[in-house]
Amino acid sequence: MQPKLKSKVRCADQEIGEVTKVIMDPLSHEISHLVVSVNGSGQRQVPMSVVQTVTDDLVQLRSSSAEVMALPPFKRDDYVTTHEVEIPHLEDHIHVTPGEVLVPFPELEKNVKRRTFFANLTHVIGLFIGLPLAFPVLKYLMKPMYAPFDNGWLKIGNVGKIKADDAGTQFKFKRKVKEAYLPEAEIEKNVWILKATPAVLEKVYQGKDMEFRDATGKTIWTNKKDVPYVAFSGKCPHLGCGFKWRQHKVLGQVFLCPCHLSIYDASGKVLDGPAPRPLDPLPIQVSASGEVQIIDMEFKAGTKSQTRIV
Amino acid sequence: MSHTPSAGTQATVLEKVIDFVDERVGLKLLAAKMLNEPVPGGSRWAYVFGSVLLFIFIMQAVTGVLLMFYYVPTADHAYASTQYILHDVDYGWFLLSYHFWGSTAMVVCVFAHMSQVFLWGAYKKPRELIWLVGLALFGIVMGFGFTGYLLPWDQRAYWATTVGVEIMDKTPVIGDFIARFLKGGATPGQMTLSRFFVIHVMVLPAALMGLAGLHLFLFRSAGPAGPFRGTPEELKAKTDYFFPRQIWKDIVGMAAVFACICALAFWEPVVLLEEATPDPGDYHPEPEWYFLFLFQLLRLKMFSGEFGQFLGAMALPGAFMALLAALPFIDRDPERNIFKRPIALIGWVVVMAAILIFTISAIINREFLD
Repeated sequence: MQPKLKSKVRCADQEIGEVTKVIMDPLSHEISHLVVSVNGSGQRQVPMSVVQTVTDDLVQLRSSSAEVMALPPFKRDDYVTTHEVEIPHLEDHIHVTPGEVLVPFPELEKNVKRRTFFANLTHVIGLFIGLPLAFPVLKYLMKPMYAPFDNGWLKIGNVGKIKADDAGTQFKFKRKVKEAYLPEAEIEKNVWILKATPAVLEKVYQGKDMEFRDATGKTIWTNKKDVPYVAFSGKCPHLGCGFKWRQHKVLGQVFLCPCHLSIYDASGKVLDGPAPRPLDPLPIQVSASGEVQIIDMEFKAGTKSQTRIV
Repeated sequence: MSHTPSAGTQATVLEKVIDFVDERVGLKLLAAKMLNEPVPGGSRWAYVFGSVLLFIFIMQAVTGVLLMFYYVPTADHAYASTQYILHDVDYGWFLLSYHFWGSTAMVVCVFAHMSQVFLWGAYKKPRELIWLVGLALFGIVMGFGFTGYLLPWDQRAYWATTVGVEIMDKTPVIGDFIARFLKGGATPGQMTLSRFFVIHVMVLPAALMGLAGLHLFLFRSAGPAGPFRGTPEELKAKTDYFFPRQIWKDIVGMAAVFACICALAFWEPVVLLEEATPDPGDYHPEPEWYFLFLFQLLRLKMFSGEFGQFLGAMALPGAFMALLAALPFIDRDPERNIFKRPIALIGWVVVMAAILIFTISAIINREFLD
């Protein structure tokens, strides 16, 4: 039993006063001292170790009244109240108040039978507010996510600038984009064009013409296996960086991506590095005068199979 | 502690105003509660990181709001408006560079804060929830770094986002949706910029403020863990309140971090690359330094191919975060002394060493690319 405030305090020989305060140990959360108001002569701080028994309204001490009187007076300034300090759960297991502190239950609340019903109804109404919003909000945010493919041909330059066979030549081009409400803008892109020897061409097309289809599966173009010009999308199939045509110490002339060091040979085959698939050939046509046109496509990076996204 | 002016002395105007407010909202009690929090075993320099993080966040919010006075989040103006801040607006270079280096300081302090909590065993019962909310906050800080990186709309920004979103695309089942949702389409463009902007300046700050509040509330509910050594008597003898000694250490920590950020902003101000475009030119894309180890990890042969990439980009970091989240529930031994928790100590050293090694090798790799 814990000592209560206002309890009488009796020493071994006589009653000397009452409990006015209790002092808690901040670490153990136990009562460490009682503050006893001695009848007519100030307050003393009494350690719990001298408390013999505690009953409902009486604290019995082992010490004599003279011993208690000999204790130094209680110094209020050495303490703060539990309200002024943040010690978690300090008040959880002390019961020093002389009794419970109560406020009356409102009249209207006394006979409410449907408390749970009202609680649940609140949630249901909340749900009715939120649910109709979920779908419109999702659609609102998804508006630009899936755009149809543009299969138009873009002029990107003349094959005259290709200096050697089986060597990657970068063709930069500008592409017009019209995004949502924005005015039409130009972005810079690039593709790599190869004038391939029959051996490399064979590695690219593996003896078959390459067909490109639109979203509905209709063929939009076929790269003939014997046309020596091959165009690769400028986007690395690993994670979408831009690769370059570089001299490699061991592998010779290769396509190298500076991001994660994927290396491809002239036919686009992966020689080294983390790439999951060869470079992506694009639809290409070269006119009699050497003008190159391509369909600008992009494919999802990081997958073994090709998935067109642009 | 509250001090009311003693009888006889005349209360000053300030005291009267304070008393007026105190009478209505209990200001003094609130202040006392905030400041009188016992720190078991006494204040320490090791405890400053939480407060320092709060300080850095406030400064990021302030500089961020100031940057928005000039910044325009559109594909055709983002780059120009950022350049305008850097070159034309008085002290614009400083505020932008402070914001940039502040984000770096944030990541450094998050690492220090998490390491401290981990090494002190402070994630253990009854502080599991603080740790979990802390992990969510870690994710938000990373999200801030990732979304903020795109906003200047230069080549560095564009390519970090391109690669970063491609990595998220590798999430099983919902990856394609997430990637398109973030980009607002199939490729980065205006929609991406708009989305990253609103996430960076509205969504993440709101989430961070809410979760940081929860983090603090949970921390105050459980109380500080204190040192992992010492008997209750020793701890009690050394215990002091949050104010003044710990607050003093905190404010010194904040001042030191502030000085570092200012110095970095001054000597290494932000310089933009070319404006963003899908043609990288001569630029070799690279993420911000704190993502470099992950970047280097993905260069490894073992993480090649579709499955390897999933392993390196999603499964490994995901499993690591899951392990951190599960930590307080797996590690139920109440022992907090790090020198008596060999697995935890070795684990921490290994993770830190791995991050260090991969970061350094990514830096060394740069030379071989030119």
